[in-house]
Amino acid sequence: MAILEIRDVTSGYGEVQILWGTSLSMEEGRLTSLVGANGAGKTTLLRTVMGSIKPWQGSVWFNGQDISHLPTHAKAEMGVVLVPEGRQLFTDMSVEENLEMGASPKRARAHVARNLERVYEMFPRLKERRAQKSGTMSGGEQQMLAVARGIMAEPIVLMIDELSLGLAPVLVLDLFQSLKKLKDAGLTMMLVEQNVQMALAISDYGYVLAQGRVEIDGPSRELAENEHVRSAYLGH
Amino acid sequence: MDFLLTSILDGLLLGFVYGLAAMGLTLIWGVMNVINLSHGPIISLGMFGVYLLFSGLGINPYVALIFVAIFGLLLGIVIYFVAVNRVINAPHLSTLLATFSVAMIITGLGTAVFSASPRNVDYSLGSFTLGSATIPINRIVAAALSMLITAGLYIYLRRTRSGRYIRAVANNRNAAELMGVPSVRILALSFGIGTMLATVAGGLIATLFPFTILAGGTYELKSFVIGVLGGLGNPVGALLGGLILGVLEGIIPTFMPATWVPVIEFILFVLILMVRPQGLFGAKKS
Repeated sequence: MAILEIRDVTSGYGEVQILWGTSLSMEEGRLTSLVGANGAGKTTLLRTVMGSIKPWQGSVWFNGQDISHLPTHAKAEMGVVLVPEGRQLFTDMSVEENLEMGASPKRARAHVARNLERVYEMFPRLKERRAQKSGTMSGGEQQMLAVARGIMAEPIVLMIDELSLGLAPVLVLDLFQSLKKLKDAGLTMMLVEQNVQMALAISDYGYVLAQGRVEIDGPSRELAENEHVRSAYLGH
Repeated sequence: MDFLLTSILDGLLLGFVYGLAAMGLTLIWGVMNVINLSHGPIISLGMFGVYLLFSGLGINPYVALIFVAIFGLLLGIVIYFVAVNRVINAPHLSTLLATFSVAMIITGLGTAVFSASPRNVDYSLGSFTLGSATIPINRIVAAALSMLITAGLYIYLRRTRSGRYIRAVANNRNAAELMGVPSVRILALSFGIGTMLATVAGGLIATLFPFTILAGGTYELKSFVIGVLGGLGNPVGALLGGLILGVLEGIIPTFMPATWVPVIEFILFVLILMVRPQGLFGAKKS
């Protein structure tokens, strides 16, 4: 069953249209990847889903409910959680305060202790640095914290924008391993990536976005074999 | 020498109240980057609140402060939704004009209702003698309450859920929304707390000096100087800035005419803006 569905969404900024009738759906328990070149509209799509910009046409459905026009915080409250591009941490706050902020939705508050333990086990570095101001950590640690903060929100759907951007390959591999564990634990996720190869390697199903439209979609394994995808995004 | 000591002590005590007033301005700036130009008139409303409750109903001025605080909080929330929220994402000029119009409305109505004649809260707790220095107890109480409220604000911002939300929205409003924080409500609450601090500071000042409906303007200007001294957006800096200003006001009149006080204050204001625009106590910049 599709837990999150985007139906024929058009949107953009001011006069500039970015999305031209984009549709995609995320199945429960699946790791979906959304890949595409820089400027294809991936981040705009996420912003439209989260409500920081409104869809011009089309709709966003979560759990059978039209959530197109709900404010961002209401969506987080329902369990639609985004780990935004550029991490967007609370840089003046400590690591642990950031994690506590992640647990703001009412549905997450009862599980703060359990989830803290869970993310500290997943990212022991964060536990070591729990009292440090998040803005003073390295890029990789900040990205861990951004993901951990998202998990603290007790998401039903977790979307992660550009996890790998600006990080050393070995760190990226580590983070992807952590996501794999989350998926195995049953979390529904969407990975939005410019790193097409990695994203397709880890996900179950993929969408390729180009010029604000879904160009091609299918099981990730098939996409990785696809002639067009290989030449356009994988460089061979 | 004793005379100087008295002046310093006097100024220091007053400085706590100045700090409290400035904290209202600086909190709003720190959370939402809005310069609240209705700060002064709201301080005046705090003065008149205590005055009316005391003279009209015979309520102890310090008890009256509780009602004034609640009024200030609610007033701020109303002002936020009526005037500020619609322009919160617009350039600074819009929020300046919006709060300026609120200032004009309050001042206009206040002058019509209360006229511009001076009032005072005739309530003295006597004075306290320390060696050759004589300090009115009203000042000591005002300083102590200001300190207490500052500590309360600090603990509130650190230890409570809504306090943490305020800091989160100040730090990164977009991220706070993504974490499920209703940021508009949090901004309204922050504005309310800012105006609450202003009304309470006004109420405390009313127990020290005579005032008119226009008196808040003076304290608004002081709040700007203090905000720049302590770093806008930094509550602890505001308190320290208030103390510095208070001491200056105590000392300056001992060797030059008191009319020079604002001149010196604003020379200081300009100098700090030129040399150290982030404030003496290195405020954060997000």
